[in-house]
Amino acid sequence: MTIPKLVPSQFETYDPTEPPPPFGHELKKYVPLDEDYVNLNPGSWGTVPLPVLFAATRLGYEIERNPDKIYRQAFLPLIYKARESVAKLICAQTDEVVFAPNATHALNTVLRAFEWREGDLLIGATTLYGAVANTIRYLADRSEHPRPEAHLVEYTFPLTHLQILDIFRAKLRAVKELYADRQFTDVPPLSPGYSEDPADKKNKIVAVFDSITAQPGWLMPWQEMVAVCREEGVWSVVDAAHSIGQEPDINVGEAKPDFWVSDCHKWLYAKRGCAALYVPKRNQYIIKSSIPTSHNYVPRGCLKERGKCTHFVMQHAWTGTPDHTSYATVPDALAFREWLGGEKAINGYCHQLALSGGKRLAEILGTRLMDQTGKHTLNMPNIQLPLPVESIRGELYEPDMIPEINVYLRDKLLDEWKTYVVHYFHAGAWWCRCSPQVFNELSDFEYLGAALIVVCREIKERFVFRSA
Amino acid sequence: MPIHKLTPVDGEAYDPSKKPPPFGHPLKYHFALDDDYVNLNHGSYGSLPRPVIFAATELAYKIERNPDLFHRIEYFEGLNKSRASIAKLIGAETDEVVLVPNATHALNTVLRNFEWREGDLIIAATTTYGAVANTALYLSDRSEQPRPTVLAVDYTFPLTHAQILERFTARLREAKQAHASTSFTDVPPLSPGHSEEGRGKGNKIVAVIDSITANPGALMPWKEMVRVAREEGVWTAIDAAHSIGQEAKPDINLSEAQPDFWLSNCHKWLYAKRGCAVLYVPKRNQYIIRSSIPTSHDYVRPEKAKVNGTDFVLQHEWTGTADETPYITVSDALAFREWLGGEKAINDYCHQLALDGSKKLAEVLGTRVLDESGELTLNMPNVQLPLPVEKTPGEVYTPAQLRKINAALRDGLLKEWKTYGAHYFHAGAWWTRCSAQVYNEVSDFEYLGKAFNALCKEIKETILAEGSA
Repeated sequence: MTIPKLVPSQFETYDPTEPPPPFGHELKKYVPLDEDYVNLNPGSWGTVPLPVLFAATRLGYEIERNPDKIYRQAFLPLIYKARESVAKLICAQTDEVVFAPNATHALNTVLRAFEWREGDLLIGATTLYGAVANTIRYLADRSEHPRPEAHLVEYTFPLTHLQILDIFRAKLRAVKELYADRQFTDVPPLSPGYSEDPADKKNKIVAVFDSITAQPGWLMPWQEMVAVCREEGVWSVVDAAHSIGQEPDINVGEAKPDFWVSDCHKWLYAKRGCAALYVPKRNQYIIKSSIPTSHNYVPRGCLKERGKCTHFVMQHAWTGTPDHTSYATVPDALAFREWLGGEKAINGYCHQLALSGGKRLAEILGTRLMDQTGKHTLNMPNIQLPLPVESIRGELYEPDMIPEINVYLRDKLLDEWKTYVVHYFHAGAWWCRCSPQVFNELSDFEYLGAALIVVCREIKERFVFRSA
Repeated sequence: MPIHKLTPVDGEAYDPSKKPPPFGHPLKYHFALDDDYVNLNHGSYGSLPRPVIFAATELAYKIERNPDLFHRIEYFEGLNKSRASIAKLIGAETDEVVLVPNATHALNTVLRNFEWREGDLIIAATTTYGAVANTALYLSDRSEQPRPTVLAVDYTFPLTHAQILERFTARLREAKQAHASTSFTDVPPLSPGHSEEGRGKGNKIVAVIDSITANPGALMPWKEMVRVAREEGVWTAIDAAHSIGQEAKPDINLSEAQPDFWLSNCHKWLYAKRGCAVLYVPKRNQYIIRSSIPTSHDYVRPEKAKVNGTDFVLQHEWTGTADETPYITVSDALAFREWLGGEKAINDYCHQLALDGSKKLAEVLGTRVLDESGELTLNMPNVQLPLPVEKTPGEVYTPAQLRKINAALRDGLLKEWKTYGAHYFHAGAWWTRCSAQVYNEVSDFEYLGKAFNALCKEIKETILAEGSA
């Protein structure tokens, strides 16, 4: 059955020579969200513009016309083009960037690739994304040798960049002192004391940290943290899930993290699920296998392997039959962003709205912004909710109450008020994290404020708090 | 922007109360393949019916209308419905079944979850799927202990089921003898000698077994192989990528066959959207799957897992943001198959066509079918190509020529002739593996034969004329 040529409807296409609509509610027509849904949470799942969704659907049909033809012949060039466009954006080489279904998957690819030895250390943080923290736990939980030991850096926000760096550096030094009898000589290639000879490499320390934490949404001094790692001989794995498309001027070529991952479907307008995994050439030997392992795996003893080439790019080109239309349509997402004005214009708008919207929301709720200086906020402001604050853990809130209140907030916001924002409990208080996009305006924050006032009042009435 | 309601056109819709078109070319109406493309390779990537594409597209837009509502609340109902339907189809309990992106991913979840020890063995086969064999190799390639050793059973087709079983049994026993000093006491729960205290102690042997191999496409006596392995104390991971939606007589019936792990691609023969596969882990073995891949929010730490189990189903519910439409629209795929007449009707047609079509193809090519007895063929017949046969490796073909011939066949079939059937070199000869689907007819095999004749003639005149053994 020949597919009738898919014809885009009005807002599934756009004329790149015509100026775009202004930022704000006028852009909602290019986005598939329900008219009456006030979405202040694109940060969680992303929002794909209609033209990109259309391009992906159309590519889907192209594939169905002849799957063998596309997958065996036409496919790799499409993916190459997409990889190239992402590499350019983050100042990496094309062959240092591959795609994965999502950031968690990309991080698993890295952390599971390390050959862990007894004595190795894996350093996470209390604010790491749940699944990433669990990956660290899983690796440390192996029932017998060899397995790394997990340690956590503790962050209680708000914190300045200097404070974060101090805490981070202090933790790295503290664990080295704690294990002074171990030889952490398996250092990354750019660190002092690096040796190519495997016999010289005893134990290693791997640190996993966010470029922008999720809860709260806080910009971390990740480039400086990478530098600290380098000085200390620690491998740096950066969970930059929220960075691409939100953080201006990412330059991994300059910052030189050992591994860096980001979700393209969050802020970059790519279709779900699409993430970029960056591994500089000097470290590609560590990623012996994609996950899952592919046809292009290079077995030990094979000719190519002796050249220290694990075929990093080719291994990730095909990891079993998937739906790769999300990878292939990244260029469509970037073209749409160009049309809107480009990275600077988009993030200029979102950042300004994050600041003014966050301020307005705090006024309405009668509370405060977590980030008083604004230095740690890109597009994700965090505002306190009008709910009781405890100064000691368990003072007011029974353990079960926290998840129950989260469920209550979620259901009320989505079902009754048709709006959403991420809500979480941190350092004794309740917060919300907004992530305004180009289709949001100040009035969205006002609407959210009205909703939160009512819902929080309901919570205070329904839940029984412990007496202070 | 409120999406204008998507309305299905032509083959995107069907009236379940009316009779479907007959099997054969009339059914092309409901598939998205180019009219002039003669697809005899459904087995590689699958081809989903237009109503399923439509349902998935509609769902994608629905998700976009409110991603938070979908991901935080609505997703789970659709997922569980799919899991329940699939479990019923394969004779398993719903809570033994999870969905993952593809069979390779499922297989990796199993093999990477085992805690490998020095002395452990993985037994694969010379016909194991490339990426699966590579997964085993990757595990054994760890640059220092602990790592398993990989062995392979040699299958050179054609073979009868009795011969396959014999080789498999012999290899298992040989392996144990060759490693006589190793205590293979970590046996699966249903094997003799298993005890709760002995769990995880000593070494283990894990066999990766195809239910239906890919090249050639051959039905293996996997249930008997599972039984033999169980008797021998060997864990079984069944790569059944091609089974669900093809293996219907007899039914898959996992609660009877009792493999230790089983996985299959729903997007191959079950008409689901790419990529969707099922991973089956019976409750007795779920303790082995400590973590989904990637690890999820619902990972359960060991102390808790000892008491409450590993929460196998919950861990696999959501493993990071992805395109969930393939999982949810499994229900649409199954409904379409019901409308066509159900699993038995579909596979009766495809099986018969596989036999008739391959017979015709062998006539046109002047060669033979690989499986003379019919024991090895469900819907994927294998027919020899009219190219020279070598008795010893290298007698006729250099490695470069083998690669060139594969490329020439691929390009010629897809670009010039607008048709395809998988092609491969096995036991000194060239073969094609076809896939008979509900939209195919015998004439498709004739056309493919014509294409292969022309291309093979060209190959004999060009690639084979220039090189010498």
